[in-house]
Amino acid sequence: MSSNGCKGIWVFAEQRGGELHGVSLELLGKANELAQGIGCAVTAVLLGHNITSHAKTLVNHGADIVLVADDPLLKHYRVLPYSYVIEYLIKEYQPEVLLMGATAMGVELAPRVAAKLKTGLSAHCIDLKLDREGKLLQVVPGWEGGVIATIACPAHRPQMATVMPGIMRALSPTEKTGQIIEVKVSLTDKNLGPEVLEVKTEKPAGRPLEQAEIVVAGGWGVGNEEGWKTIEQLADVLGGSVGATRPAVDEGWVEEGQMIGQSGKTVRPTLYIAVGISGVMHHVVGMDQSKEIISINTDANADIFEVSDVIVVEDFKKVVPKLIKEIEARQKVCK
Amino acid sequence: MDFAFSEREEMLRKTVREFAENEVTPKMGAMEETGKFPMELLKPMAELGIMGVITPPEYDGVGLGYVARTIVLEELGRVCGAMPMAVQVHHMGCAALYDFGTDAQKKKYLPALAKGETMGVVAVTDPSGGSDVVGMRTSAELKGDRYILNGRKCFITNSHTSDFWIVIARTAEGAKGLSAFIVDKDAPGAKAGHEENKLGLRGANTGELVFNDCEVPKENLLGQEGGGLAIAMKTVSETGRTGMAATALGILTAVYEEAGKFASERVLYGKPISALQGIQFLMAEIYAQLEISRLLCYRASWMKDQDMRFDTESAMAKWYACEAAANAAKKAVEIHGAYGIMKEYTVQRLLRDAMVTIPAGGTGEIGKVVLARAALAPFMKK
Amino acid sequence: MKRIIVCVKPVPDPKHWHKVSMDPVTMTLKRAGIPSIINPLDKHALEAALSVRDIRGGEVVLLSMAPPFATSNLKEGLAMGADRAVLLSDPAFAGSDTLATSLILAAGCQWIGDFDLVFLGNFSIDGSTAQVCSQLAEFLHLPNVMHVIDMKWQENDKIIIIQKIEQGYVKLEATLPVVLSVRKELNKPRYVPFTGILAAESKEIKVLSNEDLGVDSSSIGLEGSPTKMAGLELRRFERAKERLAGSIEEIVAKLADKIYQCNIS
Repeated sequence: MSSNGCKGIWVFAEQRGGELHGVSLELLGKANELAQGIGCAVTAVLLGHNITSHAKTLVNHGADIVLVADDPLLKHYRVLPYSYVIEYLIKEYQPEVLLMGATAMGVELAPRVAAKLKTGLSAHCIDLKLDREGKLLQVVPGWEGGVIATIACPAHRPQMATVMPGIMRALSPTEKTGQIIEVKVSLTDKNLGPEVLEVKTEKPAGRPLEQAEIVVAGGWGVGNEEGWKTIEQLADVLGGSVGATRPAVDEGWVEEGQMIGQSGKTVRPTLYIAVGISGVMHHVVGMDQSKEIISINTDANADIFEVSDVIVVEDFKKVVPKLIKEIEARQKVCK
Repeated sequence: MDFAFSEREEMLRKTVREFAENEVTPKMGAMEETGKFPMELLKPMAELGIMGVITPPEYDGVGLGYVARTIVLEELGRVCGAMPMAVQVHHMGCAALYDFGTDAQKKKYLPALAKGETMGVVAVTDPSGGSDVVGMRTSAELKGDRYILNGRKCFITNSHTSDFWIVIARTAEGAKGLSAFIVDKDAPGAKAGHEENKLGLRGANTGELVFNDCEVPKENLLGQEGGGLAIAMKTVSETGRTGMAATALGILTAVYEEAGKFASERVLYGKPISALQGIQFLMAEIYAQLEISRLLCYRASWMKDQDMRFDTESAMAKWYACEAAANAAKKAVEIHGAYGIMKEYTVQRLLRDAMVTIPAGGTGEIGKVVLARAALAPFMKK
Repeated sequence: MKRIIVCVKPVPDPKHWHKVSMDPVTMTLKRAGIPSIINPLDKHALEAALSVRDIRGGEVVLLSMAPPFATSNLKEGLAMGADRAVLLSDPAFAGSDTLATSLILAAGCQWIGDFDLVFLGNFSIDGSTAQVCSQLAEFLHLPNVMHVIDMKWQENDKIIIIQKIEQGYVKLEATLPVVLSVRKELNKPRYVPFTGILAAESKEIKVLSNEDLGVDSSSIGLEGSPTKMAGLELRRFERAKERLAGSIEEIVAKLADKIYQCNIS
């Protein structure tokens, strides 16, 4: 395949500290689906130092071509050198579409690249479609999810989007052959911006309930201490805090400090998952300002559903353990 | 006529509201439980301008006047009634010093009050006095270069949270025999006595002051000897009554919001109870009580800012707003049904807080004495 | 320190978002009757600027691209402590996407001139694209760092910046000038002091049109924006109450999607 094949859909293969971010593989999955529709190649763009071994992983996950820019100056991600290289590659190969993860890196890098190329970019996409003319329709949430907009970039190329991690499906890896192209870049004469002194990874420290971004709360319907462990596991795997209703506290499954409601704490996390909670008023006043509320309850008429965005009428014992496995699987996708 | 708040006043309200919601709310559990005033909020409140809102800039205040002060107290009271209670008495101390202090006294005390280094107190009430101010027995006798004070003051707000108190004591017989003194809390023979355990406004400190051959330097006389009654009356009428009225106004705002929120969230018979006419009528009355109180409070404060005489208007605002707050809070408790008497719900505190505003700063009956005088004045024959 | 620019965006107050409706013809949101507030993260940006000024001096200038009503939001920023404000307001700016907006803001920064630092909030609560920091920096030919959660001054005007990333942080050393966008962990914005309200009454809010800025009119507004709105759906400001159906496996997959769509950082 000639380098002309690179004109199709590009995926920025994000790596930090030599580790591929899972979203890159998810994007390859989506890119394959899009590419099938219009019959073009999928190219992964991999930047870093001593990272060539990842090229094969990318191929096995659906990249037809991998462009690898390996340079000591690219060892640590920095927005300036990374954007120079991507700008150069895009001008060289002129792809139709460039997708990046809406990660800390992606949301910094993608707009800088888009500005260099004076092209359009949509942010935090939750869905992508290609129409018949090859126009990328980018579905983005705004107003904290209150508005869903579909964005297109009809007259400029590449069409760029950052995509929320965890939503697209990665392909299961299979042994494939692809073209790996090493590209030479020269960065020595450029302003490379702030210097990276240290990259530190740490497990996020447990936050107090009131400041948690995710709260998994259980009520009377959790049934017993064993059930309560499931609640704790779900909170743990999501990096959230555990909340409770008065009956769950009274049963001794959980400390009083975790109680949410009129006589407990008031929380307004980004995501509130209510498990086995009926939704009496003095609990609801402590959580109804949460941005997204997901409720799981066997009672189809539970009051909690009145304040919920997502409703699951099921026994949590059937759903939550599988959900924990699913989340773990998505988190592990690239390891 | 113009009933609109200026942009400046709207900004003032917004910043105090943000402060109260974010900084006072977390303190309220402890305030209710311990009855202690959160002293750690003094400095932040002073930095905002709350403590020195009526004190002129030459004494490190912001000098925004009484309409601004009422906005401040109302917004604090909307979150926690104990805050404006303590702050308004603090302002009484500021006003008495500013109106009657010598240059030296003003320079010494007003900046410390405006900067929140300590709190203001005006101690008028004796166990034997109260509404009968002239009946007070706390005495002050001039001996050489100092006054010797003996007696007790009771129900004194900020008694235990201030470094000095303005104390009214008897220097001679009769109404013209009262004088005001600035008494350092560490003065020989002075101490803060019993701390009260109140029904409401629990986070505002209230207690006794005890003087046992307490020595006060002669230069700490505030105003003229014999001018004590005038100082007490002016300060209570202008600053104290408008302050209590604004405290009640803040509580009323909270009453209205709590009742409205509950009525629209609580579902019975398949509908929010706000759809029931019985509840609607209660809400209508609460709303009217709030708005009437608001008009009275801001009119009185505005008149003070215009240098008009407003003793009748301040007495009216105080009497009406405090009664209205208690009355509306009772209705709000009723709207809540059994929830209303549970400690978890705010309305029960609002009812208790509102009740405390009624005797504070002059009972309703004293207020009505002032009102009756004004009401009947046009009909009096010479 | 010479000058610090803080970009401020007026956004509709989330307390009133339930009043938003959509014009099905123009595919725009109708915001009438909804008061605007300073985008919450922009207050953290302003606090960052004010605390830099507190220790290193200089002038703090607010910069906003917005309709004329934004003066009231700018006034709040001035009352918080900024020295003056520049409002870029022109009907020709309407409909600008982030690229066009960044171009206009860059022109505003250049009009103000002579700055060492530009602060922004990491994202706005309405658009939440988080794109302006990098694009503005690109048009200013300056380096930028997003997700700032801490900063410390070194000798010779260098700044140590802590940038939050997934599961950790990056420590960077930057030289001036630089464009920074901040997260809420960076600081606690000060309350507007009463003296600030009084002081703001005599501070200047300079309103500039594109005549003053001279940005190429084909690069701004709806026309100059490469991204186009192809569809708009007012999903909800009330609870969606979406009931998930299907097998347990299907429900679990949908649930996981919902969780990941929450954009938790």
